[in-house]
Amino acid sequence: MVKSLLRRGGQRADARPRWRLSKRARDSLKAYLFVSPWIISLLVFTAYPMIASFYFAMTEYTILNPPRWVGLQNFKVMFTKDPLYWKSVWNTVYYTLFSVPLGLIVALLLALLLNQRSHGIGLYRTAYYLPGLMPAVASTLLWMVLLDPRLGLVNAALRAVGLPPLGWLRSATWSKPALILMSIWSGSGGTMLIFLAGLKEIPESLQEAAKIDGANAWQRFRHVVLPLLTPTIFFNLVMGIINSFQVFTTAFVAGAQTGGAGPLNSLLMYMLLLYRYGFRYFNMGHASAMALVMFIALVLITLALIRSSSYWVYYEAGGRR
Amino acid sequence: MAACAPATPPAPAEEKPAEEVPAEKEKVTISWWNQFSTPICQEMFPRIVGDFEELYPWVTVDFEISGGPPGGGNYIEVLLSRIAAGNPPDTATLWTPPVQFAARGSLMAIDEMMKDAKWARPESFYEKPLRSCQWRGETYGLPSSAGPGCIFTNTAQFEEKGVSPNRDDFPKTWEDTKELSAKFVVWEDGELTHAGLVPWEASWLYPVWSGLNGGQLFDAENERYVLDSDANVEWLSYWVQWLDDQYGGDIEQFNLYGPWGGVYPESAFQLGLCSMAQSGSWACTDAEIPFAWEVVRFPVGPNGTKSVTGFWPNWWVIPKGASHPKEAFLFIEYLCTKGWETWYTAVMDTPAWKDFSPDILTQKLVDQVGLERAKEIHQFFAAYLEDAVDMWNSPIEDFASDTLNSAIDEVLHKTKTPTEALQEAQDLCQAKLEEVLQSI
Repeated sequence: MVKSLLRRGGQRADARPRWRLSKRARDSLKAYLFVSPWIISLLVFTAYPMIASFYFAMTEYTILNPPRWVGLQNFKVMFTKDPLYWKSVWNTVYYTLFSVPLGLIVALLLALLLNQRSHGIGLYRTAYYLPGLMPAVASTLLWMVLLDPRLGLVNAALRAVGLPPLGWLRSATWSKPALILMSIWSGSGGTMLIFLAGLKEIPESLQEAAKIDGANAWQRFRHVVLPLLTPTIFFNLVMGIINSFQVFTTAFVAGAQTGGAGPLNSLLMYMLLLYRYGFRYFNMGHASAMALVMFIALVLITLALIRSSSYWVYYEAGGRR
Repeated sequence: MAACAPATPPAPAEEKPAEEVPAEKEKVTISWWNQFSTPICQEMFPRIVGDFEELYPWVTVDFEISGGPPGGGNYIEVLLSRIAAGNPPDTATLWTPPVQFAARGSLMAIDEMMKDAKWARPESFYEKPLRSCQWRGETYGLPSSAGPGCIFTNTAQFEEKGVSPNRDDFPKTWEDTKELSAKFVVWEDGELTHAGLVPWEASWLYPVWSGLNGGQLFDAENERYVLDSDANVEWLSYWVQWLDDQYGGDIEQFNLYGPWGGVYPESAFQLGLCSMAQSGSWACTDAEIPFAWEVVRFPVGPNGTKSVTGFWPNWWVIPKGASHPKEAFLFIEYLCTKGWETWYTAVMDTPAWKDFSPDILTQKLVDQVGLERAKEIHQFFAAYLEDAVDMWNSPIEDFASDTLNSAIDEVLHKTKTPTEALQEAQDLCQAKLEEVLQSI
């Protein structure tokens, strides 16, 4: 009887079979365990707030009281009854249309200049990157002094070359260009580093071959460097658009000087209006609706850019996507 | 020597016998949130809180003077979150009108506690500052300060122009004030180098300018906005005319000529570029004006009947869900009454409490202008507060304020007429108000 109770290897016959995972399953489980902290934080701190925000967008929610379902009422008010909504959309689109291309051009030029092997080049790269490290509030306050219409250095420079001084942040016409200037100054450093990395990836052999074939610097840039840099340009373009849509701190700080959002609400950016609805007007439902609209807009723009990339983004390995 | 004698300090709390801990009372710790951060706040508030704790030895106050909530973050965001989560601080100081919170059910009504209060009975406060804490007949906080607004004048510049700098000689009407302002306006080579009065410089005083012309912005009793009244249209039309007649008619060009606004350092007033400017009582000591000045009442508009003022309080509230509301009330009562006497010795922030000792003066003001003059200025503000307009009393105060500021900006930029701008502002504010009232 004892013998019959034993299996080969001494295992008891009446023992429950052990559930044995395959090696692949065990490896997968280990992998998930290792990334679980990240997944949990993604679910708790990103996915849940996003889903909650989508829900709040359909409610009247003051934070102080439980949300009350109102369906699409927030969207109706936003699109048809709030004149400042379209003002903020226009301000943000204006800002994006100028700050992103100009920022890319400046960053690319800087990267080309700094893509040299020369003594002290590391210092120059650091110097151009440093503005990006400055806290947004501090850099905005600094620029507000520089752009002071009476005493600022920028207008002093304009006067010195015989040009009329500008109102900058005190002018409805020039306040957004002032913000764009600030964004280029602070944002170009990081974009420049990414372009620099992209430039380093371009094989020297291709440039040398072009040189041997008689191509001048501009032709080498136009026909070798630029096409191979398009993946980096594409990445910076997408990130630039996403970041520019979310401009808040500079507009908030600069606008405060003129009572809130600049002359004639010229600095009332989308995120600033969203913030006002959420935390000044106790209308988190409306703010969430605005956030949802921005999310959809950014998804559509990003998808459009990805679709368009097949026409103008080149990858070294296999041509266009 | 007597004129230079320092102001009598308030009786320190230790001279008053501390309340004996009643047998049934256990020691409690209450939390107090605030946004104070300046060196004077860091010096004075611990002292005031210490006096309170001596008076009520069973209560300890947990607080910090760091400019924001414990742990950092935006004050209002964190406070809203904690109230929503049901674990708010026991008491908070607000720089945002409390009616907005009260109307949404997030503050505790304190009328019952005020009935039996030692100092903070309803009749002990100036009417309008207390009304700024009231919603639909209930009181949801206390105002500690009610710094009245006024016009500051540069007495030396007045004398240079042969104009009497005495308060009683200051013009009583808009027309006379505009005429006076014109005397100080100087244009050199097409640029404005000196201004008189810039009436639109202080947005927090817009309710005052409306009231000076017999108008109103928000009718709290009937819960409706009245922005587009004839009196308000007349008020803004007057300002446009003032801009055209004295300052070139182009508001953006005008703004380039100087840092108009207020009386603080780097303002046109302190730089000597402007002879008159608007501010509140606290600026008498806080702004450190380096020359002789006078404070005068606002002039009355064509449609107005008397000179009125505004006020800008610190509000002290007890959020709903506070763990120790009774002790929290004792704290805010003390801070807004006897405790503020101590604060007032350092900063001339006119108390909202009427039973304030008349012998207590701000030492800095006494040092600056002498005892008799300091007393006179104190009495000026205390008396003017009796003529305050209703302010800060709308459940959509911030929305309305932003909307009105935009409207006035459009009028001064001449992109809209006063009628158009105020009509649009009226429609927006009334719609928002109705939306909020329906949801309450």
